[in-house]
Amino acid sequence: MKVIGFNLCKFGNIIGALLLVPIIVAVFYKEFDIIPHFLIASSATFILCNVGIHFLRTTKEMELKHALCFAALTWIFCMLLAAIPFWSTGSTGSYLDANFDAMSGFTTTGLSLVRDIDHLPYSINFYRHFLQFVGGVGIIVFSLTILARSEMSSVLAFKGEARELGIRPSIVRTSRIILGIAITFMVLGAVLFTAVGISEGAGVGTSIFDGVNYSMAAYSTGGFAPHSQNMLFYHSTPYEVVALAIFLIGSFNFTFHYAVLGGKRREIFKNIEIRTMFITLTLSTLVISGLLLFSNVYSSSAMLFRKAFFQAASAHTTTGFGTVHPAQIPSLWGSAVMFIMSLIMVLGACANSTGGGIKAIRVGVIAKSFFREIKKALMPKTAWVTEKFHHIETTPLTDTIARGAMLIAVGYIFLFAVGTTVTVLHGYNTSDSMYETASAVGNVGLSSGITSPAMPALLKVTYIFLMWAGRLEIMAVLALMGFAILGLRRGIKK
Amino acid sequence: MGLRKFSLREFLKKNFDFITGILSEVGLTALIMGVALAICLLLVFIKSVF
Repeated sequence: MKVIGFNLCKFGNIIGALLLVPIIVAVFYKEFDIIPHFLIASSATFILCNVGIHFLRTTKEMELKHALCFAALTWIFCMLLAAIPFWSTGSTGSYLDANFDAMSGFTTTGLSLVRDIDHLPYSINFYRHFLQFVGGVGIIVFSLTILARSEMSSVLAFKGEARELGIRPSIVRTSRIILGIAITFMVLGAVLFTAVGISEGAGVGTSIFDGVNYSMAAYSTGGFAPHSQNMLFYHSTPYEVVALAIFLIGSFNFTFHYAVLGGKRREIFKNIEIRTMFITLTLSTLVISGLLLFSNVYSSSAMLFRKAFFQAASAHTTTGFGTVHPAQIPSLWGSAVMFIMSLIMVLGACANSTGGGIKAIRVGVIAKSFFREIKKALMPKTAWVTEKFHHIETTPLTDTIARGAMLIAVGYIFLFAVGTTVTVLHGYNTSDSMYETASAVGNVGLSSGITSPAMPALLKVTYIFLMWAGRLEIMAVLALMGFAILGLRRGIKK
Repeated sequence: MGLRKFSLREFLKKNFDFITGILSEVGLTALIMGVALAICLLLVFIKSVF
């Protein structure tokens, strides 16, 4: 426990430093009354963490079980600290609401309980998007350096590096590469958003501010927006196309980026995740567009592309940007479309990306093992059926890999069922509840209108838990629970 | 002093894989969007015919 606490306090210092970044924006926009809020939050974090470091100092190295618990607790620790500025500036109605937004930010979900987004101070608005960018990059580091060490996630390993190196050097080296690639795409997105914003008639200052924020939220598949109308604010096809490009890129596997940017361009056509996502996104676009067209919701191909495809891509990549107002979804789109949207939100984006959900690699592996079993059933008993999949390198599909993928998928379905049940018990109808729960557990951010400051406190806590467990792919949460139960048993025996 | 003359050819040569990699990924997103647009056009065409 001491080694986890020590590392948690050391990590907390990074959060303390990150809380100082929005001060630059506050100074630029002359929001001097906001600066003390960030200074207090940052100072409190530094004091708390350094007191913790003093009392918990240890030279013991973290093992995998410690690393998993550390990761699970880090997200809660970060939420509690990052919530302070939201709460102290009155941007949210309560500290619980502030925690909801902080968790939504760090997990790159995008559901929000912030009041009056359109009149938020610039620095607070920037802070929301900055949290998503930090959380997005953070989750890739976590999945490549900690999750990749476990057998269940063996298919996610980054050239086996995570297993060979110690946790710390692996984190430092991998973080640098991830940050470099993330900043490249974020800057590219910010430039494009700004250029389109200016061409659409927005002021230069507004275009730059919006461009940076939308780009951070898009690359991290976050879904926060600097305006309450989200993507509807600009009502612009070019703006939506730029958003689509950046969040699609953000939803690709980091190892895929690494391979393609390193010259392995054939990976685009061979990679199992890209193929799986392409198939599921195309099929869902076909079904959703068909349903909306033939039920006369939209009549032109332009509207189908901007509404049906945009929302489907936003749901599948777990981004959460919306071109349809949340309140219109249940009444206009109907439960059949909402069910398909819920399904693709749970399927999610690629592994080792900023996206959430079950992940395309697992969906691909499960589909391949399904076909392998059918082949086995049709072949003579003596026949030897093998299956392979390509992700950076060609790997034989073993039972261990298939079992690992299925276990995580079952975990997500369990969380989805629990969340839906809790929401239904609060009096909401089933399709709305499924949609909202899928959005929380898949770290998406699209809403059917349930998420609001007026929602019951128990439901807020449930969604915070779902966002957290979904982000950590359940495994780290189970490890933490196991660790807590083991500790309790030992305590009782003593 | 200490500054080397910037050569665009040298820069492109050195970062060829990185630049073409970014373009390939942007191309992939364009392909996904293109297929989606084709589906939308096809559906509207089918509806108008039947």
